Parts: sequence; C-alpha cells; structure tokens
Amino acid sequence: MSTPIQVYEPFKAGLPKLGKYWKSLWSRRTFISEFSKSELREQHFDSVFGQLWLVINPLLLSGVYFILIVIIRGGSDSTRYVHLTATLFLFYLISNSLTGGVKSITAGQRLILNTAFPRVMLPISAVIIAIFKFVPTIFVFLIIKVVVGSEFKVEMLWAIPILLITVLLALGLAITISCINVYFRDIASFLPYLTRTLLYLSPVLYEASELDPKLRVLEIVNPLFPILDSWSSALVHGQMPEISNMLQGLAWAVGIFLIGTYFFLSREREFAVRL
Amino acid sequence: MSSLSASSPHKTHEVAVSVRNLGLTYTTAIDKRPTLKARAKALGRGSKQTRVVRALDDVNLDVNYGQVLGVIGTNGAGKSSLMRCIAGILPPSQGRIEVNGSVSTLLALGVGFNPSMSGRDNVYLGGLAAGMTRDEITGHFDEIAEFSELGDAIDAPMRTYSSGMFARLAFSVAATVRPDILIIDEALSTGDAKFKEKSLNRIKELRSDDRALILVSHAMKTLRETCNDVAWLHKGKIVQRGEPNQVIDAYQKFLDLGKSAAIDEDV
Repeated sequence: MSTPIQVYEPFKAGLPKLGKYWKSLWSRRTFISEFSKSELREQHFDSVFGQLWLVINPLLLSGVYFILIVIIRGGSDSTRYVHLTATLFLFYLISNSLTGGVKSITAGQRLILNTAFPRVMLPISAVIIAIFKFVPTIFVFLIIKVVVGSEFKVEMLWAIPILLITVLLALGLAITISCINVYFRDIASFLPYLTRTLLYLSPVLYEASELDPKLRVLEIVNPLFPILDSWSSALVHGQMPEISNMLQGLAWAVGIFLIGTYFFLSREREFAVRL
Repeated sequence: MSSLSASSPHKTHEVAVSVRNLGLTYTTAIDKRPTLKARAKALGRGSKQTRVVRALDDVNLDVNYGQVLGVIGTNGAGKSSLMRCIAGILPPSQGRIEVNGSVSTLLALGVGFNPSMSGRDNVYLGGLAAGMTRDEITGHFDEIAEFSELGDAIDAPMRTYSSGMFARLAFSVAATVRPDILIIDEALSTGDAKFKEKSLNRIKELRSDDRALILVSHAMKTLRETCNDVAWLHKGKIVQRGEPNQVIDAYQKFLDLGKSAAIDEDV
C-alpha cells in the first residue's frame, strides 16, 4: 500500500487524467477477477449443478424460441435452429452485460462511499461475469452444430473478431447504463422491455436476409444488427461476413464505448454524492 | 518514497495531510430516489429537483505524522464530508488537498460491498478496491478475522450480520492493515462495550510517531484521552483547533451541555 503524494483538487466537467486513471485501474485488475469470481460463487456457478445450469438455461431458451418460430412460420429446419442458438447466445452476452451493469454502481454504494477507486471497475466486472456465462454456451453451440450435421469451415474463425467487437459493445453499453442508472434509478425497471425489444429488432428469430426491405432501417439503427448478422454468416453458414457489416458493428461498438466512457469518467467523481 | 518505505517511511512532524482553502458544495437530489418518471412528471412544473448544500467552507487543516486529531462538531457540521474529501472519495469544489501516505478509512458505512457475499469475500473485495494486493490481504486476513471475533460467521453472507458484527468487521479491516493515515468516522458506536474497549485499545496502540490518526467522534471523554489535537467544525468551518481539553471545553460550553453524561457515552 505504498502510495505517493495524492493531490485532490476541484474538477470541471471533463475527464480525469487518463494515464493516472488507467494506472490505478490496472493496479486493481485483481479486484475485477475476484469480484467476478465471488459473484459467480454467490450465484452458485462454482458447483456442478450451477455450471450445468449455465448450459441448460440457454438450451431451454433456444428451445422455447424455436417452438415460437415453428408455430409462427408453420415449420422450420435445422439451419434455422443453429442460427437461433448462435445468435441467441451472443445476444445474451450483451443482455447479461446490460442487466449486470445497470445496478453495478448503485449496488456498490457502500464501497463507493467508503473507498476511493476507479468506479469503472464495477461495470467492467459485470461484463466479465457475462463473458463467464457466455463461454459454456459456445460449447453447447458447437455440440448442436455437430449433432445437426452442419459443416465446419475455416471461415468460422471470423467469429473471433466479431466476438471482440461484441465485447467492446457490451462494455460500452454496461458503462453507459450503469452511469444513467445513478441519475434515473428506474432505468433498471425499464431494462427488461429494452432488451426484449432489442431481441425482436435483431436477426435472432429471423435471418437478416429475410427482413422486409421496408424494415431495412432496423439494420442502421440497431447496433446489434450488423454484429449478429456477421456472427450468423460466419458460424452458421461458414461464410466470410460482409466487411461493411463488420465495420458498421465496429463503428457502433467504438462509438458507444467512447461516448459512454467519456460520460462515465466525467461524472464518476460525483457518484458519491448521488448515491 | 518507495526506497524509504521499508522501515519508517514518515518522520514525526512531517505533514501527512494538508488541506488548503477547501470548499465543498453538493447539489443533492431532493427526490430520495431520482427516477425518469419523477423527472418527466415534474417537467411542466419547472420545479427544482436539486438543492445546493455548502458542506465545507474555506477549511485549512494540516495533520502531521505523530498526531492524533479528533474532529468534533454537531450533526451536519461537515465532519464526514471533510473525511471523504481527505480520503479522495469526494472531489473538492475549491481548494486543494495533499495526502502524503497510504490512507485507510473507516467511514460511517464501514466495510461490505455486497451483502449477499460472505464477510471473507467482502474483506477481499474491499481491500482490492482500496488498492491492496491479494497477498497483502491474505497476510492480514487471519488477524482481521481473529480481531473481529466473528468466528465461523466470517464465511456467512453479510446480510445475516447484525449491525454490531458489521461494525466489528469494518473496524478490524481498517485497523489491521496499518496504514500511514487512518481515518475513523463514528464507526465504533454500534459495537458492544467489550469490543468498544478492545477497539479503543487498538486505536491507542496504533498511535505512533510514523502514523497519523483522525477520529471523528461525539464521545468527548474518549477524545480527551486519545487525541493530542482536536479540531471543532461548525457549519463547514473550523471554529477552533488546538489542545483537546481546551477545544472540547469550548465546544461543550457552546452546546450548553456542560458535563452531561450523554456526550461521554458513545465512541
């Protein structure tokens, strides 16, 4: 705990010194991993059945949505099921980051009022937890793909950059929404409607190519759209995703991350009086 | 700094905390729980959602190593705000604070990050957030657990703790890490008599030439016994500072309580 001289001075609306902030964030990286571990332990994901639940839960979800698709469309095939699982699991990475992130600041009240630390650690931890929950679903997906006899191609590796873009987007969204929730505490109650709407606006229950051209605007206004579409191209169809789609997803992710982080960092020093 | 920190990093009388012309104003939300719904409903009315509070006003305060500073004042005098500013939790609105050394704080809310996690997890998380390493915490953990006398409860979720257990754990964490500067804000008032005595003894043990202690308390007797310096804060300003007995006498005269028992009771 050797600390050099700390100087606290008033701040105007604006960013703290980023180099210093990053250093103090980096020096606390064990907090982030420890926090995620304790949180998962608290939700019993360290037990065998807890981990099994991480696999059963997405399977049940995809089963429910598949029934929905079959009933609405009057039939379906295995490719559609593979598409559904692939995109739904990635969607839940975002959705879990949002639900974990939204209350991360307000729930950390005691710690925030008692200790000085970079507050952004809390939403970051929420995203790490969402990633932990996402990892087992990758294996579930691969098994499903084997079972239905879908082909494995080298183009599937495009999923890696897409996953990185998704994580960046999830970080940006979690940071933004945790900050908004400090000022408007009812955002947490609106969130289920928001994520549900996002799910229906995204190519999960349908494929992007089936979308009515009149509704193409969805592709432009929904940050998840290009990402989920590229994800499906790579993992389900074994094709290289369209570069423009990936660039669009990347632009959304970088944009939301930068704006959200700016918003958060310029306000986090005020959180202590807002809680 | 780092080369010196092996044995005695800070010399007596060296400045530990220097507060210059500190001013602090908050804008507090009037709604206890700010919501979008409430904001939307109040839109047409043009009603003000916030109130400006001037918590600290031109405060100058130096704390040297070797000093045990008691901070007294009525409720709302700005004592806790001042402590939070020194701990770096609240940014000042005016002025400048320099802190020379590691700080451990035991502010009113104490330890405990997530009530559904065990006391052990919370101790680790609190320590890591404060910038300690895992090994440092592990090194202190047994001592913390033992001092808190929580026994097996250390692995039970903190929501099952009584307020006394909370206070014990919080005090144990703050007092066992041996920081350069320890700030304790009215944190002992919920412990039972035995633990209070134990904590007080620990505070007295912690008094040393290379450490600065700041105690916020309403327990005048304790402050008279423990501190070698007292500052009296009133409405965000320092009214008087100096020899404990003098300042406390003046404060008690101001309160017009004389030697009433109530002021000696709690820590």
